[in-house]
Amino acid sequence: MGIEFYLMMVINGLCQGMGIFIVASGLSLVFGTLRVINFAHGSFYMLGAYIAVSLGTLLGTESLFAFFMLMVLAPPMIALLGLVVEASLLRKIYGQEHLLQLLLTYGVLLLLDDACRLIWGGRYLGVTRPEILAGSIDILGHSLPTYNIFLLSLGAMIAAGLWLLLYRSRAGNFIRAATSNPIMLGSLGVNVARVRTIAFVLGAWLAGIGGVAMAGLGTINLGMGVEKIIECIAVVIIGGLGSIGGALLGSMIIGIGLTLIQLSFGKLAVVFPYIAMALILIVRPWGLFGKTER
Amino acid sequence: MSVSWKHKKNAGVAIAILALFILPLFLSQLGKTGQFWTWVVTEMIIMALYVMSLNLVLGYGGMVSFGHAAFFGVGAYTLALLMKNAGLSLILALLGACGLAAVAAWIIGWFCVRLFGLYSAMLTLAFAQLIYIIALKWYDFTGGDDGIHGIPVPAFLSPVNYYLVCLTVFIACLLIMKIIINSSFGLTIRIIRENAERAKFIGINVRRYQLINFIIAGAFAGLAGGLFAELNRFVQTEFLHWSKSGDAVLACLVGGMYSFIGPAIGSTVLIFLRIILQQLHQDLVQSWAIFLGIILLAVVLFAPDGFVGLYNRLLKKTQRNAEMNKSN
Repeated sequence: MGIEFYLMMVINGLCQGMGIFIVASGLSLVFGTLRVINFAHGSFYMLGAYIAVSLGTLLGTESLFAFFMLMVLAPPMIALLGLVVEASLLRKIYGQEHLLQLLLTYGVLLLLDDACRLIWGGRYLGVTRPEILAGSIDILGHSLPTYNIFLLSLGAMIAAGLWLLLYRSRAGNFIRAATSNPIMLGSLGVNVARVRTIAFVLGAWLAGIGGVAMAGLGTINLGMGVEKIIECIAVVIIGGLGSIGGALLGSMIIGIGLTLIQLSFGKLAVVFPYIAMALILIVRPWGLFGKTER
Repeated sequence: MSVSWKHKKNAGVAIAILALFILPLFLSQLGKTGQFWTWVVTEMIIMALYVMSLNLVLGYGGMVSFGHAAFFGVGAYTLALLMKNAGLSLILALLGACGLAAVAAWIIGWFCVRLFGLYSAMLTLAFAQLIYIIALKWYDFTGGDDGIHGIPVPAFLSPVNYYLVCLTVFIACLLIMKIIINSSFGLTIRIIRENAERAKFIGINVRRYQLINFIIAGAFAGLAGGLFAELNRFVQTEFLHWSKSGDAVLACLVGGMYSFIGPAIGSTVLIFLRIILQQLHQDLVQSWAIFLGIILLAVVLFAPDGFVGLYNRLLKKTQRNAEMNKSN
């Protein structure tokens, strides 16, 4: 096993990390503006995947175009759901005890997860990938699935898009302002509640995209939402709550770390995110890129 | 008037305890259903202990924990391993469950009390997940996702006797908790909940008090876990899963976490509801999470102080009405 092998492993890890980042970025965005860890975020992601499956059977996914239609059609549905959740539930209890907000999103998680079970049942599902995304290409004498490359570029696009949105647009200015000082923003005449709604909807949309991307991997099941939310919480804590750059770094650390540790420790590697999360919390609770709150 | 109210309350508690002790006499008349309900009531008692142990940290200490299942699970696995592999008696195994859970709480708590609010909650979650995965992957020791089957039952322990054992332990634990809460230690813990900064200024070692509280809560949770493992005769990784922690927080909220008995009421009502749904129709209990979610949303939005808070509000209303009627 030469250096190329490890390089390949790192690339694979990067691709995995991007898969996590797409979902985790939404969680971080929502936390930044709403100061709530949205436990239902994993359920949004799962619902996105299931909707992609249903749309896939409706539209077919063999052609690249149809697959991209899933990407275009499914996430907005999740965004709409996010809008309903935010406007009808979360907004009612802003400024109340933190625990209540957390538990509210937990309640949404319970509802959505069971709704998925009722609608789609407990079987493993997936969508067939278009041919071009189902193969693999040779790099450095090792094969790399084209789907991984797709994930990598999708994640990079989302990262770039989020950066443009947050740092180069007026709406992004408001979102960042709502993160750092919502009272000041409100007294300047901006409707902070609306900014929060937008951030929450955007977060849900990202979760939906992550779900569709995962549908292409073909391992959709009822546990995936709960699994993903914990993973995302770990990523976001490592990177720093509310920081998108942190979420990117955290995802990469987890993705590459998992892949490399799997080589020598096999299945035990799944403890890595939690060990990393615990270590970060102990040493630097505000995360790698986060800001101290006290 | 307040004195008579207190007398009434004490009498009520005494009647409730007496009723719980003679309940098996009544249930034993019912045959198969009676056996089933004996099991259910035992589960309710154990879960009430578990949830109340969390409330020491959550309601009284003001520290959110999303990892309380860790101590419940550690207790359950300890009992299972001690009784099945080491052949210890039930009492020793229960003490072991309690002790090991306390040690786990000590280690986890030592780190958690150094953080604030959400970060502390997330750290409990991280540690609990670690323990969960260890139990899941360490096949030779914990049986992985198969769990541990066939925990031995001592000869004298019929279901009814076990119910009485659990009830006795539960009442003893309740007394101990009550004493702890009303001691200067308990008052200090509540001061810290209200304002940790001020507590620090008047010279209270905040972290130390929180840690001790955390350990006590962990020990009680471990005891509950041990008791439940013996009832179930089977432990599985689900006992350690974070949704088990979430369920406990939920029961505290639904019952009312700023009251002593509230969490126990919350947990009991939820279990009762689940069983009723199960009796009504098998499909209904499949969708238990939907009911739970709706209850949770309703409580958070409309009655954030839980059933006990709701009861108190209703009580005040009726008292006010009564007074108004009198004056009329």
